[in-house]
Amino acid sequence: MTLGAPAALWAFMAVPVLIVLYLLRVRRREHVVSSVLLWVKSAPSRSAFRPSRRIERSLLLLLQIVAAAALAAALAQPSLLGWTAGSGDVVLVLDASMSMRARDVAPTRFDRARGEARDVLARLAPGHRAGLVLAAARPLVLVPPTADLGRLAAALAQAQPWDVAGDVRGAVDLATQLVPGGRGRVLVWTDAARASVPALPNVTARVLGTADANTGIVALRVVRDAGAGRALVRVTNFGRAAVRAPLRVTRDGALVYGATLALAAGETRTVGFPVSGSGVLRAQLDVRDALPDDKTAEALLDPAPLPSVLLVGPDDPPLERLLRVAPVSRAAATRETDPAAWRGYDVVILDRVTTGPVPPGRYLAIGTVPPNLPANPTGTVDAPDIATWDRRDPVLRFVDFGDVHVRQALRLAPESGHVLAAGPSPLVWAYDARGIRAIVVAFGLADSDLPQHVAFPVLLANSLAWLGGDTGDLRAGQALEVPAAGMADAVLVRPDGTRVAVPARDGVFSLALPRAGVYRVITPAGERALSVGVGSDTAGLIAPGPSGGAVSSPPVQRVLARLAVWPWLVLMAVAVALGEWALATRRHGGDA
Amino acid sequence: MPADASIPAPAPDAVRPRPGEHAGLLDPAFLQRLDALSLVSRRRVRGRQHGERRSLVRGRGTEFDDYRAYEPGDDYRYIDWNIASRLDRLFVKLFSEEEDLDVRLLVDTSRSMAAGVPSKLLLAKQLAAAIGYIGLVNLDRVDVGVFSSGPGPRLSRLRGRGRAFDLLRFLDGVVPEGATDLGLALRRTLDESPRRGLLVVISDLLDPHGYEDGLLRARHHRMQTFVIHVLAEDELAPRLAGELRLVDAETGRVVEVTVDAEALRAYAEARDAYLEDVQRFCFRHGIDYLRTTSTVPADALVLRYLRQGGLVR
Repeated sequence: MTLGAPAALWAFMAVPVLIVLYLLRVRRREHVVSSVLLWVKSAPSRSAFRPSRRIERSLLLLLQIVAAAALAAALAQPSLLGWTAGSGDVVLVLDASMSMRARDVAPTRFDRARGEARDVLARLAPGHRAGLVLAAARPLVLVPPTADLGRLAAALAQAQPWDVAGDVRGAVDLATQLVPGGRGRVLVWTDAARASVPALPNVTARVLGTADANTGIVALRVVRDAGAGRALVRVTNFGRAAVRAPLRVTRDGALVYGATLALAAGETRTVGFPVSGSGVLRAQLDVRDALPDDKTAEALLDPAPLPSVLLVGPDDPPLERLLRVAPVSRAAATRETDPAAWRGYDVVILDRVTTGPVPPGRYLAIGTVPPNLPANPTGTVDAPDIATWDRRDPVLRFVDFGDVHVRQALRLAPESGHVLAAGPSPLVWAYDARGIRAIVVAFGLADSDLPQHVAFPVLLANSLAWLGGDTGDLRAGQALEVPAAGMADAVLVRPDGTRVAVPARDGVFSLALPRAGVYRVITPAGERALSVGVGSDTAGLIAPGPSGGAVSSPPVQRVLARLAVWPWLVLMAVAVALGEWALATRRHGGDA
Repeated sequence: MPADASIPAPAPDAVRPRPGEHAGLLDPAFLQRLDALSLVSRRRVRGRQHGERRSLVRGRGTEFDDYRAYEPGDDYRYIDWNIASRLDRLFVKLFSEEEDLDVRLLVDTSRSMAAGVPSKLLLAKQLAAAIGYIGLVNLDRVDVGVFSSGPGPRLSRLRGRGRAFDLLRFLDGVVPEGATDLGLALRRTLDESPRRGLLVVISDLLDPHGYEDGLLRARHHRMQTFVIHVLAEDELAPRLAGELRLVDAETGRVVEVTVDAEALRAYAEARDAYLEDVQRFCFRHGIDYLRTTSTVPADALVLRYLRQGGLVR
């Protein structure tokens, strides 16, 4: 039983007031008898003369109390939470946060939730549908409402928590959209560690978890600056008590750093130390608590691999000369504008060529715009002045357009992406969507004096670095799209060693990264490693939070339902009041 | 515990007898049947005048009573010579004097006597009239008085059939008023006229002061006492229910009671205990006792139950 307005319970004070008023009210019928002698003689041994006896026997008072109590209870807006057979569709929402891996609830919070959800499915009334939504980094509809319970059971069995802070609210919103019109219920299993479940009429939450002590590694990164490498390890004590956390960092089994961190409650500490060489850096925290999964973290020491570059277009000596010395694994030139001829290259430079729609991939377009990019030129602009550019963007870092003059440029009209440099119209524009990562320079090198400036090699190097596969700071929960470069299949090796076949769709490999750790992408062109960190700095927060009307109950026997009781209480109050009135009227002159 | 309260007594109008109850206490046919009856005195009485019953005084009467051995000084005229000739011993014949019976009728006219349908008072007046009439036709000396909180009007020294009208008129004019105090009424009545005789008390005995003292006083005066206990049906089995403020018709005392089955059961137990106490008290002290309700006709009571009770024959 939950109450929508607990303060309204004060209305129950009306009941004793009613009783007092009833006792105080002069309603006895006067009756003259020849003598009260025998009545007095009968009094001592009997309770019929006690004032309270009037209360005991008064049906009218009882009805009045019932009506008042029902009304008071209705004001509190109670609703029943119970595991019932129920009716309507059911959408199960499982919190896939990393905190759901906590083992304070055996075997884990997520496994307990999975078991209870499985029981719900087993008790689902025939003919009703059920769906499954995973509250991961973003809400995922694993199974839309269906009567195929076998499919649901299989999805439940495969569901696993991610190394992220699950978007429970988003998942609940999504789930409620799957059961529109209030014709179904949304059952949520969560630990509510970061956010409570939205208090919606048809949403019922089951909060799992008892422990709050956890200390974990929230980030392990290797940063490089001018060839020197430095590892950063961030550790957070999520609990409410101070802990001493021994930290060991190894590279391929060899200890490279060790320290014991004294962390106060809620404290975050970042330690850094120099690293060199290649391989996998592994940090390990020797702390025992309810969540062992965040005690280790891995990161790649290897720098990002250099991209291979194909120059498509007419001869362009400055560009060709620069490509010979640029940080690329290999470079080639062609005049073939058929994308089929571009396979095997990480970056394609389209230099003043007109092409058809380009497939997913990495493109540096100079003086041209592929037609399937949302920045179709509307004409040209003469002698545009590069007035502004974004020096913070990695593409324009250390690029100075101050002395660069442009004779003529395309007048770009971008619909999305973001403009990196602009004069009267966008002059450098970046786009990263639908499997296409592209940089468009609105003017040809021959139409400007850019090749004569330092900005030229810097811009090219930055562009190739951004386009060439530097995945940046990957975090669990992100979906990484890698251009297929004409390949049909790839194999993704997860941190736990499981291998997943990833087919190319629309020219890209969409890689799901639910866990933190080192992934490996194996394609016919070679193998590439990806380092993925924990999805959120708060993912290790495991203290169960308020449920917002949730219940903590034994294992599910039936479908959990929230039934509004107050309308029935109002009806009951009205019915009882009418009955009391009718009875009082009928007993005219009686003790009404 | 009952809630007691003192409130002014109800207006007298609330307990007055219903219209028509004074008219004709006894019908002529009933009176005619009473002519053949006489009051029974269980012990010999000593009257003031010659009457039609034996007195304690032996010797001058005409009705033979007994023999006893002659003693010096006895009147020779009463020696039974026939026995002396046969037994050769002297015996004198004893005769009872026929004296009148002193009959006192005491009628309770308190407000509680107005209860019942017909009222208890009507039956009491009819009974008093019938018993008094029987006494008058048998040349007994009849006193009739009423009482409530004390002795009320009284009609004394009635004798002979000719005073029957006075008796009936007196009783017909009696109305209920006041509270019951049997003890006070009997004390004053007996103090004023301590002569022994037959005392008939007609009352509901609903006396908050208790009935025992008065009756014991009558017993102390060696009165042959006959109590006719008149109750109303509603007093034996109240037809009440719900939340009530019961107001005592005599004292105005208020008792608040929730009348339900349990309360009625308690009342019945108290009623039975009370009636049993009255009956046991009367039996223990040699007081004749007859209990009736106001619904029993007066002629049936006199011709049947009072005969069985030994008051009339």
